[in-house]
Amino acid sequence: MWENLSLTEVTELAKDPYPSIRKWKKETGKTIVGSTIADVPEEVIYAFGFLPVALLGTNKPLKKAPSLLPDNACSLARSNLELALSYEGDLFDGFVLPQVCDTTQHLSDIWRINFPNTYVESFLAPRQVDRESARYWVKEETERLIASLSARFNKKITDEDLKRSIVLHNENKALIKEIYEVKRKYPVSITNKEFFSLIKLSMQVDKAEFNQTLKKIRDSLEKKEGEGYTEIILTGITCDPPEIFDLFDEIKLNVVADALVTGSRYLQGVVPEGNPLDALAERHFKRGFYSPIHDNVYKGFKELKALFDQYKPKAIVYIHIEFCESEEYDMPDLKSMIKKEGIPMHILSTEFQTLSLSHVRTRLQAFFESLKGGTL
Amino acid sequence: MSEKPSSKALSKKITEEYMDEAFRAHELGKLVGYTTAISPVELFVAHDIVPIYPENHAVANLTAKKGAEICSITENLGYSSHLCAYARTDLGYRESGKTITKGIPEPDIFLACNAQCFTLTKWFQVLARRGDLPVFVFDTPEHVMNAAARKEIVKYCVLQLKELIAWLEGITKKKFNYDRLQEVMMYSAQSSILYKKFLDMAQYKPSPISIFDALIGMAIAVYRRGTPECVEYYQTLCDEIDEKVQKGIGVVQDEKYRLYWENLPVWFKFSDHAKLLASYGAVILTSLYVHAWSLDFDLNKDPLETLAENYVNRFSNSTIEDRADMAVDLFKRYDMNGMIMFMNRSCKAVSFAVPTLKDILTKRTGIPALVFESDMGDQRFYSETQIRTRIEAYFETLDSLQRSKSA
Repeated sequence: MWENLSLTEVTELAKDPYPSIRKWKKETGKTIVGSTIADVPEEVIYAFGFLPVALLGTNKPLKKAPSLLPDNACSLARSNLELALSYEGDLFDGFVLPQVCDTTQHLSDIWRINFPNTYVESFLAPRQVDRESARYWVKEETERLIASLSARFNKKITDEDLKRSIVLHNENKALIKEIYEVKRKYPVSITNKEFFSLIKLSMQVDKAEFNQTLKKIRDSLEKKEGEGYTEIILTGITCDPPEIFDLFDEIKLNVVADALVTGSRYLQGVVPEGNPLDALAERHFKRGFYSPIHDNVYKGFKELKALFDQYKPKAIVYIHIEFCESEEYDMPDLKSMIKKEGIPMHILSTEFQTLSLSHVRTRLQAFFESLKGGTL
Repeated sequence: MSEKPSSKALSKKITEEYMDEAFRAHELGKLVGYTTAISPVELFVAHDIVPIYPENHAVANLTAKKGAEICSITENLGYSSHLCAYARTDLGYRESGKTITKGIPEPDIFLACNAQCFTLTKWFQVLARRGDLPVFVFDTPEHVMNAAARKEIVKYCVLQLKELIAWLEGITKKKFNYDRLQEVMMYSAQSSILYKKFLDMAQYKPSPISIFDALIGMAIAVYRRGTPECVEYYQTLCDEIDEKVQKGIGVVQDEKYRLYWENLPVWFKFSDHAKLLASYGAVILTSLYVHAWSLDFDLNKDPLETLAENYVNRFSNSTIEDRADMAVDLFKRYDMNGMIMFMNRSCKAVSFAVPTLKDILTKRTGIPALVFESDMGDQRFYSETQIRTRIEAYFETLDSLQRSKSA
């Protein structure tokens, strides 16, 4: 179902992948396991023969979530809860929910209580990352996840199953990185919206099938130089609503590098070779972290500065999903470090249920106009 | 023979001596360690690190109604008004020096324990960046409802406590003294038992204490546990309250409503709320929050293990289902017939559980709940009229319930 998609189809599916996943489930009879983003090793779920689906919120209206999570809670958390409670909950045979911050900790509880008859497991990611015990804990939790899935679904996996799953997931990331290389140089070949839809959909559909699509897209990209593009770096957790990419495309911004969780932080998650459990734990610490709780500001700054030095874009655009507390504690210092380097940075605060982007458009346009005028 | 000092006098003396030591820490060859109110501070005490709780300093300012003024200083630095009022007050104090106290000494090191919340970790990181100071995060995964997982969590936490000890030894160039830790644990265990006894005196009818007494009384447990003076203080306090019990003295003599409170208090409305509720014959008895320091150490166990077990299973790190069980236990033991569920904008770690907890508690106890939204310290999020109206309406509901019961 997902092996021969055009870029237009990918973009459409990324906007709402669920009808397609439902159809796939009906056809294959496979088990579907949803996870909110941050650190759940999808390779493990896939190794069981299940489909791991990253839950990335909904743009549909909030109906039930506001009475369970107040309006100053992370917009992604509320949106995901709504997605499950009102729209797509019945599609899933289970959920593995990571805990990386106070909000995700509560979200797991609320989710479990609201889905009393569905498998809901927590993945307790370490909230410290610099010490040996954190490595021990990631491995421990990965083993616990395997045991929990085995017990619930009465199925066992071998190291070979895990290795095969890892190879497939690594291939997916390698293919997207190849496409990213082309996009950087030839922005006409693929729009920002199309490119980031490839990543988003990779997190939600069967990779054995989707990698075929990626290969075909990679081979068919037209390497044509474009004119009038402004290169930027994008950072944040996710870039939502996805129409923000339309704005980028409209004003000819080319994202040449990023630090998004639904972007390069996902692509960095290539699992090294070796004992799969050790390798999965090693990967956890090798990639940029999914949760900003670990983003020691110096590290975040260094990462952005290195990308800036390497790709020499005109500016950094920071998408702040309201109300991520971690980002809100880090932002003033990060902003001042970046300012000190003379790097222009534009912060866009959005929510998943944002309907109108007119204010975003005006601010973006003003920012890039002033950039051209050199007044920043 | 001189008369035994009152708990109030003792509390004043202990606090003054503690702050004096903290300000002279460097002179005394000690380091100042900022830490979270819920953290294995026993390791600090055993290693002669003076613990300082910036939260407590913030509370002093918030109770004195300085919240909006100091928080807005922080917001002008680019921080969101959605952040914790403790953090905003502290950052505003650093920027402006504004405080109603003598302030607090500057930190040398930080210990953040996320059994309380992870806001403190991020706040401490902001402070640490200013002086390039070391931060140790004691990570306590949620106390999930799975016995095997709990064992693994405790193992992980013990590993971290060993790392913490090595970290302290590295910084101070001093060997950690486990005998001293045993002694500190003994004091901490004794004072925790007495503290719990003090809180549980709210079971008497009429209750000799209200939650407001508990909130004042908990201060020493927060910042002086692990010391003999902490034990002395709670012994004195228990004796005093016991005397009230013997004489039948209650906070509200004709007690009509015995209430449960969820969340931290609205610090700047502390005494107003007590008076207002008393006018309805109501007294708030307890909350999970004040019980956070009712630690239950097992001195027969390896001290690191009992520390890990205790700090992991605090209410603030427990599942909502377990929080409900803990609260229901309080409802039964204290014979409560009302509940106020406070949605505190500042404290997401506690408040995000409140709507679900409220649903479970009302279902399990059959008692209606008063829910209101405000902020523990920032007056800009407090609407007097709205809250008064809600309280009035709530007591009307309780009254009519009582009438229908007696009919």
